[in-house]
Amino acid sequence: MAGIAIRGLSKSFGARDASFAAVADLDLEIKDNSFVTLLGPSGCGKTTTLRLIAGYIVPDKGTIEVDGRVLSSPGAVVSPEARGMGMVFQNYAVWPHKTVFENVVFGLKLRRVPTAAAKKQVETALSLVNLSGLEGRYPNELSGGQQQRVALARSLVVEPSILLLDEPLSNLDAKLRERMRTELKELQRRTGITFVYVTHDQAEALALSDHVAVMSGGRLQQYGTPFEVYAHPANRMVADFMGLVNLVPGKVRALANGVGTVELSPNFTLDVAALDGLKPGEAVDIAIRPENIRLGGPGGATTRLGKITNQVFLGNINEYYATLSSGQVLRVQTHPLQQFKIGEEVAIEVDATQCSVFRRAIGDTT
Amino acid sequence: MTTDVVSATLRPGLARPPLRDRLKLEHVVMGGAVVALIVLVVLPLLSLLFGSVKGEDGLSFDHFSEVLSGRLYLTALKNSLILGAWTSLFSLVLGLLLAWAVSRTDVPCKPLIQLTATLSYLSPPFLTAIALTYLFSPNAGLMNVLMRDTAGLPWLTFNIFSMPGLVLVTVMHTFPFVYLLASSALLSVDASYEEAAQILGASKLRTALSITAPLVAPAILSGTLLAFVNALALFGSQAIIGLPARIFTLPTRIYALFDYPPEYGLASALSLVLVLITVVALYLQRAFLARRSYVTLAGKGSRPQLMQLGPLRWVMLGVVIVIFIVSIGAPYATLIAVSFSKSWGLEFWKGLTLANYKFILFDYNVTQRAILNSLMLATAAATIAVILGAVIGWIDLRTRIPGRRFLDYAALIPLGLPGIVVAVALIQFWLAMPVALYGTLAILLLAYVGRYIPLGVRAANSSLRQIDPSLEESAQILGASWMTTMREITLPLIRPGLFAGWLLVFVPVIQELSASILLFSSSSITLAVAVYNLYETGYIEPVAALAMINMVIIGVAIWLANWVGGGRLVSRGDAAPVSA
Repeated sequence: MAGIAIRGLSKSFGARDASFAAVADLDLEIKDNSFVTLLGPSGCGKTTTLRLIAGYIVPDKGTIEVDGRVLSSPGAVVSPEARGMGMVFQNYAVWPHKTVFENVVFGLKLRRVPTAAAKKQVETALSLVNLSGLEGRYPNELSGGQQQRVALARSLVVEPSILLLDEPLSNLDAKLRERMRTELKELQRRTGITFVYVTHDQAEALALSDHVAVMSGGRLQQYGTPFEVYAHPANRMVADFMGLVNLVPGKVRALANGVGTVELSPNFTLDVAALDGLKPGEAVDIAIRPENIRLGGPGGATTRLGKITNQVFLGNINEYYATLSSGQVLRVQTHPLQQFKIGEEVAIEVDATQCSVFRRAIGDTT
Repeated sequence: MTTDVVSATLRPGLARPPLRDRLKLEHVVMGGAVVALIVLVVLPLLSLLFGSVKGEDGLSFDHFSEVLSGRLYLTALKNSLILGAWTSLFSLVLGLLLAWAVSRTDVPCKPLIQLTATLSYLSPPFLTAIALTYLFSPNAGLMNVLMRDTAGLPWLTFNIFSMPGLVLVTVMHTFPFVYLLASSALLSVDASYEEAAQILGASKLRTALSITAPLVAPAILSGTLLAFVNALALFGSQAIIGLPARIFTLPTRIYALFDYPPEYGLASALSLVLVLITVVALYLQRAFLARRSYVTLAGKGSRPQLMQLGPLRWVMLGVVIVIFIVSIGAPYATLIAVSFSKSWGLEFWKGLTLANYKFILFDYNVTQRAILNSLMLATAAATIAVILGAVIGWIDLRTRIPGRRFLDYAALIPLGLPGIVVAVALIQFWLAMPVALYGTLAILLLAYVGRYIPLGVRAANSSLRQIDPSLEESAQILGASWMTTMREITLPLIRPGLFAGWLLVFVPVIQELSASILLFSSSSITLAVAVYNLYETGYIEPVAALAMINMVIIGVAIWLANWVGGGRLVSRGDAAPVSA
């Protein structure tokens, strides 16, 4: 099908004096036949990027190529109707004055597919999304999930090389969202279409994607497999955005053979893989995921101790807040059967190989 | 990845050269709308400006200095301001009283109040004015004759041909502006605001003064300013009531300047004075209305407790009934009675006849032409205004073309132009052009489209706002061209809104008088002008018959508009200038 190459892409909005960069200097290589997610908080530029790929917006700088052909550059933009892509919108954008059949067949009519063949293709597309039999319904007679699938079928029936999806699941309830998630993934595998998927939901991004592009402030923060961005975040922003994390300030006490000893609190040090050029005495932040911390009875330990100060029972896990002697609080997730009392002294064990170290930039707080 | 793959994925027939390389149909359509707007509004207005400063040789401010020092013009200005001031005051009192009664008291027969305001708003003011002359002209007016000769109470007579008479006739049309805005504001104030004050210990009066009043004041002031602007612009009633009393106002003085020899420069300068007053008032109105937003934010809250008026509610009902009779009942009953009378007077019922209708419809050779002209013009004007409105609205909302804001403003300019000013501007502009449009149906059409284009734009705008752009974008990404997207997606979706807008233009055009009066010729005469001319020539009974025919046509159009638009025509708080 088709791969996308984005090079040096920039787009600003607003008046010249008060403009802000929605997308700044973005480089992204999206491989053919892959499922790529643009992930980030609202206002990070992910939807703008998607609309740039679709051709609705003209870039200020940079190019977008599909299989080596430049589709967007500041001077010339191939208009959306000539790109042969598909797009599913956040609000579905199912035309309310057309039936399900009329919605889906629209793209085929534009391509002058003969009526009989078109009918067949619509049936196939609708069965692909489990909507067979609803051809004659109007959108207002469908549930949100069904409308969503009409939008999908409408995009898929014209066999686009690239399908763009703008938060397509965000208006569905949790159960349905999870089911549609599986169906989308399934669909991408079966059709081999390149999916570019925009979401702010990190769980969705992890579950669906071959690659995740984490964006913030219009810039690409990290581009990698779901495991890479979760386990080895490139910076504090990515670490913080991808699920729960304890960002703990510390100081480098010693360095030896690429291992740094970082003190988080008196009598609480961690040996972590050191960053290049790290010096003793430097202030750093360590990102520790709650599931990578284990609690135990204090036994005879004199280091790495903490006190349970709060507890939240979440059903499948128990969440504890353990306060170190420095006052630093760690969120810890344990098996629900492992129970501690508030005020209890615990020994804290951290899987240091799963921690990330970030240099403290000037101006950073915490 | 080779280029072969690309050409296979970009389907045949869809691959096109880049945007800048082709002149697309949409650019032609949009360009056409821009040109139309410039010809309709911008150029006539510029030639009005130009005409007002054009002297014997080059620029001169002679016209302005004469207009600002000549006794005739200063008197007209003074009269207009007096009329505007009294009308605003009475509109405020009447409109606010009725709005308060409807929204905050237990007065019976609330639908009657709503009906009174609606009908007063929609009645062509020049027809009401004519109707009241049948009752209150000093010598022959039926009520005056009754009081003076039959009842022997000469002190109870009322001369309609006076400033109070003019104010009365005008208020009957303008109080609904205050009523509509005030009642919707009062209804949308969340009761919890008032309850919160009361639980803190504020009395009812204190709550009303310190909580409710500040919340609704912007809307009320805005309605009052609209009443003022409309009062100033109503040519029909000012000519019918004012001229016999020798009370000249700005519109009637401008009209008089077109008596032979026409004084174009003075008329232009005087028009600009009128525009200036109107624009300042409308600017203030917008500023007030903009402050209203926090009221509507809390729109869905609980309704306030209705005040128990006790026996006073019957007094209130009496007031409502009097207003209904004066503004609706009496004028309409009179028109009907006169139209069926052989001779209008105390014993008119002794000679009921259909002869007036027969005369008007079949013997008077103007009527049929006027009806046909008015229907054609209104149909054409409404269609063009809505189509232009749709394109302009689309440009404003869906494109990033530089200058689209200017386009939107240009389309709103006519809101600040009284009808007679539109006529003066068009005459100025088209007399200078090599095309002979003066006196044709075409110049009337230009006047109507130019005057009511804001209604078309607004209708299209509000419909387009309800259509999410993604509905159009999803057609586009499937390969639909602009034209296909418009035809298949956008137009079907905004069709109901556009049709409501169409009728919203049709209704005022069919009763338009103040621009038509300067632009018509015997072949392009319209219904409203025919009524006015017939009245001027002194026919009494046939005028009423023609007025009734006019009313029936307007009534059918309004009924149709309301039926189609689901009551939108009447419930519009932002009050379109329906004035004739």
